[in-house]
Amino acid sequence: MNHSIQENRLKRLEIYKLIIFLSIITSGLVILLKVDNMMLSFLLAFVIKYSLSPIINLFERRGISTEKSTLIVFAIAFTAFCILIYWVSPFISAQIKAFQSEVPRYIEGTKSLIFDIESKIEVLINTSIELNLGAQAEGLMISWTKSIFEDLPNFLSKSLTTLLLAPFFAYFLLKDGRSISKWLLDLVPNSFFELVLSLQHQINDQMGQFIRARLLEATIVGVLVWGGLSLIGFPFSHLLAIFAALTNLIPYLGPVIGAIPAIIIALINGVSIFPVIGVYAFAQLMDMLFIIPLVVAKIVNLHPITVVIAIIIGAQLMGVVGMLVSIPAASVIKVTAHSVYHHLINFRA
Amino acid sequence: MINFLWDNMFKRRKDSQVEFLSKNFFFKNLNPVDLKKVTQFIHVRHYRPGELLFRQNEIGIGMYFILKGRIDIFTESNPNGDKTESLFITRLEAGDHMGEIALIEDNHRRTASAKATMETTVLGLFQPDLKRLLESYPDIGARLLLQIAKVLGRRLSETAIKITSLKKQVERIKG
Repeated sequence: MNHSIQENRLKRLEIYKLIIFLSIITSGLVILLKVDNMMLSFLLAFVIKYSLSPIINLFERRGISTEKSTLIVFAIAFTAFCILIYWVSPFISAQIKAFQSEVPRYIEGTKSLIFDIESKIEVLINTSIELNLGAQAEGLMISWTKSIFEDLPNFLSKSLTTLLLAPFFAYFLLKDGRSISKWLLDLVPNSFFELVLSLQHQINDQMGQFIRARLLEATIVGVLVWGGLSLIGFPFSHLLAIFAALTNLIPYLGPVIGAIPAIIIALINGVSIFPVIGVYAFAQLMDMLFIIPLVVAKIVNLHPITVVIAIIIGAQLMGVVGMLVSIPAASVIKVTAHSVYHHLINFRA
Repeated sequence: MINFLWDNMFKRRKDSQVEFLSKNFFFKNLNPVDLKKVTQFIHVRHYRPGELLFRQNEIGIGMYFILKGRIDIFTESNPNGDKTESLFITRLEAGDHMGEIALIEDNHRRTASAKATMETTVLGLFQPDLKRLLESYPDIGARLLLQIAKVLGRRLSETAIKITSLKKQVERIKG
């Protein structure tokens, strides 16, 4: 009798602890989603954290404390970032200005390209169609470019909060990450402790490897596109390379989206599109032959259908940011579901 | 003021962990500075009387050091069924440890259950944290692994002696 009363009391305590733990996690997620800039700042902070943590580990291996290692690595990374910006920004701003002055010509060129295609289709199917895609595309492009160039300073000033908060959060995630996760794990009820600990490490490992691999992949693709386009003397090579690197972060669709602006520019300028396609194809070939098999493929083992569905859901929920975070989010869900299932089936066998 | 109190609270907690670990065979080869680093990877867990630390046949991922309290180790004839018969094996007190094989072997199933018989505090060291320790401080991790290997080696030779003695008994009965 006494034994069962004691058991019930312990079970009740475990449930209270679980509710408190889940409430803290849920409140954290609500703050991230509801407070302006918080979600993006934290996402960026995690990207910085996962990119720098292997370097901090190297310093720790040499016997330097976590605090000092974090400070040293942050100082080096900040200096390198400033030098990069100082070195690259003149080229980038010159290309943005040049591109801005060329925009009306490209819009007009795209419009006539679409008009040409439309009339060829009309000849082919021998009927007149009133789609007027050229005018629609022109309207869209004018509004896009207007919003990009007019909203860019506004967007940059708004992003300043994110750009300042992200390294701030990243610094403390790196310096106090172990203490923070230990504090959170302290709140986990005893009967779930080993499962949650194991889950936390699995997610942490997978996210770290995924983010580092994706950044490395994007950088290599960007450098290859920049090198190739510069080699064939194509205009706006810096801008197009940055665009290709960023879009390459989106699986499957990204590389195609990344190549479109360069192909349109080639068509409008009346130069052959084959060297341009060749540059992008070479970058993708290197990616597929060397980078993906060596660094990406083994990390997040998601089925292509899952990847595409995750991207669509991400895009619908959070736009471009959603497309970028959809794959890591899907893999977190997969790891969690797999571990919980494994725990239910095997832990309590 | 708050920072001062906060720092002191955690410092005292860490110092007591360092002192406890320094007396344990597993951490014998580590100095206080190394032990302070090890405490970053160790979890403090509190158990109430009657609370299970782990159950027989469950997959375990780490080992526990008893900081304070008492733990009974027992096997169950039918751990997941309604009618179970418990067989008491041993009682562990402050300073004792358990579950070291789970720290090394993947998907290791606990061979017995462990239950706190009074308010108990343990320090837990788990596989993922041991891997992190090896990544961040390889020399400390290697020295710790050497001690774990020594304990497991001793266990293995004890088991071999027991098997030999049992075999001799069987031979004697047969003969």
